[in-house]
Amino acid sequence: MDHFDRTMKALSLILSYPTRELQEAMPEIGGVLAAESRLTAAARRDLRPLVEVLGVGDIYDLEEAYVVLFDRSRSLSLNLFEHVHGESRDRGGAMVSLLESYREAGFEPATSELPDHLPVLLEFLATRSPGEAQEVLADAAHILEALTARLAKRQSPYGAVFAALLQLSGATADREIVAELLAQPEDDPNDLEALDQIWEESEVKFGPDPDAGCPASRDLLARMDRPVTPAPDWAAE
Amino acid sequence: MSHLLDRLNFFQSKELERFSNGHGQVTREDRAWEDTYRNRWRHDKVVRSTHGVNCTGSCSWKIYVKSGIVTWETQQTDYPRTRPDLPNHEPRGCARGASYSWYLYSANRVKTPLVRGRLLKAWRRMRETMSPVEAWTALQEDPILRASYTKMRGKGGFVRASWDEATEITATANAYTAKKYGPDRVFGFSPIPAMSMVSYAAGSRYLSLMGGVCMSFYDWYCDLPPASPMTWGEQTDVPESADWYNAGFLLIWGSNVPQTRTPDAHFYTEARYRGTKSAVISPDYSEAAKFGDIWLNPKQGTDAALAMAMGHVILREFHLDRQAEYFENYCRQYTDMPMLVKLEEKDGSLVPGAFLRAADFTNKLGEENNPDWKTVGIDEKTGEMIAPNGSIGYRWGQQGHWNLEERKGEAETRLKMSLVLDEDHDAIEGVDFPYFGGHATPEFAADNHPEVLTRNIPVKKIKVGRKTIKVATVFDLFCANYGLDRGLGGDWVAKTYDDDVPGTPAWAEKITGVSRDKIATVGREFARNAEKTNGKSMIIIGAAMNHWYHMDMNYRGVINMLVMCGCIGQSGGGWSHYVGQEKLRPQTGWAPLAFALDWGRPPRHMNSTSAWYAHTDQWRYETLTSGEIISPIAPEGDWDINLIDYNIRAERMGWLPSAPQFKTNPLEVAKAAKAAGKEIPAYVAEQLKSGALEMSCEDPDAPENWPRNLFVWRSNLLGSSGKGHEYFLKHLLGTDNGVMSGDLADEGRALPKEAKWHDEAPEGKLDLLVCIDFRMSTTAVYSDIVLPTASWYEKNDLNTSDMHPFIHPLQAAVDPAYESKSDWEIFKSIAKKFQEVAPEILGKETDIVALPILHDTAGEIAQPDVKDWKKGECDLIPGKTAPAFVPVERDYGAIYDRFVALGPLMDKVGNGGKGIAWDTKHEVQHLRDLNGEWQEGPAKGCAKIVTDIDASEVILMLAPETNGEVAVKAWEALSKATGREHAHLALPKEDEKIRFRDIAAQPRKIISSPTWSGIESEKVCYNAGYTNVHELIPWRTLTGRQQLYQDHLWMRAFGEGFMSYRPPVDLKTITAKVRDKGDSLVLNFITPHQKWGIHSTYSDNLLMLTLNRGGPVVWISENDAKKAGIQDNDWVEAYNVNGALTARAVVSQRMKDGTVYMYHAQEKIVNTPGSEKTGLRGGIHNSVTRATLKPTHMIGGYAQQSYGFNYYGTVGSNRDEFVVVRKMQKVDWLDEPAKKEAAE
Repeated sequence: MDHFDRTMKALSLILSYPTRELQEAMPEIGGVLAAESRLTAAARRDLRPLVEVLGVGDIYDLEEAYVVLFDRSRSLSLNLFEHVHGESRDRGGAMVSLLESYREAGFEPATSELPDHLPVLLEFLATRSPGEAQEVLADAAHILEALTARLAKRQSPYGAVFAALLQLSGATADREIVAELLAQPEDDPNDLEALDQIWEESEVKFGPDPDAGCPASRDLLARMDRPVTPAPDWAAE
Repeated sequence: MSHLLDRLNFFQSKELERFSNGHGQVTREDRAWEDTYRNRWRHDKVVRSTHGVNCTGSCSWKIYVKSGIVTWETQQTDYPRTRPDLPNHEPRGCARGASYSWYLYSANRVKTPLVRGRLLKAWRRMRETMSPVEAWTALQEDPILRASYTKMRGKGGFVRASWDEATEITATANAYTAKKYGPDRVFGFSPIPAMSMVSYAAGSRYLSLMGGVCMSFYDWYCDLPPASPMTWGEQTDVPESADWYNAGFLLIWGSNVPQTRTPDAHFYTEARYRGTKSAVISPDYSEAAKFGDIWLNPKQGTDAALAMAMGHVILREFHLDRQAEYFENYCRQYTDMPMLVKLEEKDGSLVPGAFLRAADFTNKLGEENNPDWKTVGIDEKTGEMIAPNGSIGYRWGQQGHWNLEERKGEAETRLKMSLVLDEDHDAIEGVDFPYFGGHATPEFAADNHPEVLTRNIPVKKIKVGRKTIKVATVFDLFCANYGLDRGLGGDWVAKTYDDDVPGTPAWAEKITGVSRDKIATVGREFARNAEKTNGKSMIIIGAAMNHWYHMDMNYRGVINMLVMCGCIGQSGGGWSHYVGQEKLRPQTGWAPLAFALDWGRPPRHMNSTSAWYAHTDQWRYETLTSGEIISPIAPEGDWDINLIDYNIRAERMGWLPSAPQFKTNPLEVAKAAKAAGKEIPAYVAEQLKSGALEMSCEDPDAPENWPRNLFVWRSNLLGSSGKGHEYFLKHLLGTDNGVMSGDLADEGRALPKEAKWHDEAPEGKLDLLVCIDFRMSTTAVYSDIVLPTASWYEKNDLNTSDMHPFIHPLQAAVDPAYESKSDWEIFKSIAKKFQEVAPEILGKETDIVALPILHDTAGEIAQPDVKDWKKGECDLIPGKTAPAFVPVERDYGAIYDRFVALGPLMDKVGNGGKGIAWDTKHEVQHLRDLNGEWQEGPAKGCAKIVTDIDASEVILMLAPETNGEVAVKAWEALSKATGREHAHLALPKEDEKIRFRDIAAQPRKIISSPTWSGIESEKVCYNAGYTNVHELIPWRTLTGRQQLYQDHLWMRAFGEGFMSYRPPVDLKTITAKVRDKGDSLVLNFITPHQKWGIHSTYSDNLLMLTLNRGGPVVWISENDAKKAGIQDNDWVEAYNVNGALTARAVVSQRMKDGTVYMYHAQEKIVNTPGSEKTGLRGGIHNSVTRATLKPTHMIGGYAQQSYGFNYYGTVGSNRDEFVVVRKMQKVDWLDEPAKKEAAE
């Protein structure tokens, strides 16, 4: 490989399932991140707690935390298309496109993870030119920002990784799209009021207003009508 | 992609060519935009598969795959055609199935093996210095270490593990348990093999090779209608849905066809277009109600009264005032109506007793073989008492006369149905019938009739020696039971429908709330159509009616209507109980694979209801006493015991199975027998009699008798079917629970007489709970180990249903995602580990299986009378007065080698089912040729079963339904018993052998086989009972006929000799203590099937959640909602002493007042807040239920009332339950981490 972005690889690693091997490599990974000039000093400082805990924490506690965050919480899924396509049928097609772009670049996935798994993507981006990597990350900026916010709400040190990725992308996420993502239900919520709102339905009235139609189906259609959160270009092609 | 730049907007080229007189033109504009659409629907391949969920749909689907990823699915449309004038089966499939591809890549998917972190940490630490068995021993023998993970069940804490580690822990736990306590402490629960029979077989094969326990499901789900085995000796057999089209009258009773039988509902629509009349009976205005010409909405739980009144009308108008010729001939030949019943003296009056048998006569009517089991009628031609062909006595021990020809031996006969004519009877006598309608809980109507009704019956007197036996025909007793006046005088019989006599429409009106006119109209039109069409009136019945404690009354009421009108066994007619995908069509080919019958027989089968009742300690909280359900005219007996005591007696007498079986490890018992130099059955009998050996059932709470390991696969036991959910959590799992009930001692109720009482109930009986699933279900959340399984588009398997006659596959369209594996591969890998770790403590061992007396075996005519050896009423004779004790050789060092090979018993012993046996050497050789043969090792010379496709081929090759040659052999075997030729049903298909690749190409129709009572033919649709009526094969009952009178002692004792209306029982779960001040709304808790899921599957699917309300809901009526100040969509809580649940309220005019519906089964893993009552996550529908057993379901050793796996046994009813419903004050999502101190 002509080019290998060790920062991107480092971020891929610390978002992977914690293992003893990872723990042993943490000093080196921490070093790479601490030396990354593309990140602001604050961002580098924010990464430190995670680097530290991954290095010295009890491996079972780390694994339990990882499973509950990333394996068990839909709203924190590391499979990016969970946030883009959810349970839509488009998800299969988008994954196929992503897989094809890996292949086009001369790689064959050698993992049981799906192509849209973030650590997989980051490792791929480590092999891309900085410009290309930045562009891809920029496309996912709204997801990165939403995950940063969700993890911050849970006071998880993992949030710093997403903030760092956002910085690397050089993009500012579209506020509206982020807001929309954040408005989606969380499966382990802290914000009760927000949650209630999500599940609240408009009142059904059997009244004389002929234009009203069935509010339930109207709302449903309106929701479906809303443009699907735009997929990153490399997924839509 | 608009190509705006490439397109001319303002000009059209003049160079365009025109053709077809200017109607067509050639354009040259860019058409690349079309590629977008081409690519959108581009795919690499289409693979046939289906959804292996507990749904009768069994729909074949096309799975589209692109670059190794499933992109979408659509319905298959290539089912073999039906015949002219009959609609085809497609389209089959519904919104639930169409949303499945989401599950594959869902964030809820289990991706890797998961193990509780605390367990894994301890395990790894131990394993640094210890062998696997030593490590598990150390872990289990340290109570603090054990509690460190068992008390954390359901509270998160999983970490990923490798397959190697996860299977090692599992296999080691199994080996340790087998050695320490006995292999029968390793339980496995998996339901409904028909939905993915190889996946089921994978686990049950592993368990059976080890000696583990395969738990039943159909009875536990309460989908098994015991009325079916009682009446027909058949678990359940039904018409295919296409046969609805042939009906002239469709009575939809408690079934919601469009909602829950979605892919079949089109036949109902088409039948309506054809002109079929339809009545719908449903308490709520269900989706089916709109199909009906008439809708009856009885009070829930009173269906038996409705059925009884309709039966009253049918008997009056078609059997008594006028004898419809078709009905009369049908009843004479195909039912027990002409059989004679002995009338017994009780306290100075007469009560119906047992059937008159040949053995009651001094000369035994000349019957040397089984005179105790040959029932007797009067031959109209000669006036003689005869034992006509077909009763069960003819089935065993002799050949050629077990048939329904109207003969005694070869002599023609015609049985007399009624003795009502003066010249036919010797006297008119009063006979007592029990009446239960006088007592009901306040929510149900009771009337003021006495509890014993004496009615006049024409009686014949027979002199036998010095004794005089009084007898009456079933028909005469049956009419009296329905309260019909026949001019014999006396009380409690009605001349008109308006008389207030139990049985009349007027009486039923009071109880059900349905007007008498409507009842009479529906009954009359049902029968009128059946008379005109020779039985083409059909009842599609919903399992709801089977979920009441007195389900048999509901079902027998309905069955009686069908039988009176000659509808059973006729195409277009019959009893359509489509519940649970119970129809495993190639059953006899599958059973050897599933239960490892090729290596050792018998397997360990257990009826789950009794097992869970005992092991989750629900019996310790029993509120129903036998005094509340016993008949007022019960024969003398020791009836005043707890329900668990009845079960213990049943196990002891060999009626029901046991698991575990003995307090002592069976491997040790076998060793002791050997040391004593005794045969095993004799040794066990002697030890049991002396008391040195105890049956486990007598002390379920002793640590030796706990189930220790439990596998749950293809199932969501804790999130869906587990009645008494909170009791499971408390006693079996030992974790947080919402039980608010005191036990028998706390409440001052009578303690059991047979079951040993411990003041402290154990909590946390299981050492290890292993869940195998593709999604993180409620059961998975509570497990210690979760193994990720391949989804339905990632494995090869077989699928059948009772709704259509096809067999079709599940296929691996893609490789299993993440690290998942098919169930077949998972159990193979556990077996391999077991083989590695077990030799440290286990080798070749002799195991002892305690086998109850089984239906469809010669042993089923074991006990004409009820005698308990422990009470000294008889000797303990294994297999006759007690279970049989069968030695089975295990080779614990060769579990894997045996798993992947078809063992030698198929060659040596052969195959069979339902009382028929055949040689199958030829098929075994075919399998060697097809799958290959092991060249060395413990399975040398055996056919290989390495892959899931190999396993499928074993099933297909051995089953008569998929191998015509076997079908012919099976029919010929049956001919020996009946003396009639049946092979013509399969001969045209003798050369047909269906293989896996055949069904991959197209679903195949199965071949007619004697395993089932209908036939596959180009002339008629599949319909149950067809071969009984048309081939004159007896029903597998005592009388050999459809048996409407049940004469077993316990049936009479509990007042169910005949059907009658019995109000729901009082479960007393809303106590003053549990009920909070101000909570006034008490509703009957009903759990119908939902529209947005198949049980719990799909219920966590966002597409389905979006179509409903996005989380758990309950339905209540507008009036009830108003009473409790509840508005639509409010959060409400429902509770009783069993526990509490939370949900949103759907307030609807659809609902009948007094009921609350909670669709079964909404997971508590989705949007369920905490309960204010328990302070715990708001529960599932089963949080407010508790299973309650019924003694009549424990009967065994008595012809059709003998045990069979999923055939007979206790069932888990839950409809009699009431809950308090209230609006929640505060919605608490409980989002703090679980407290850790419990486990520190």
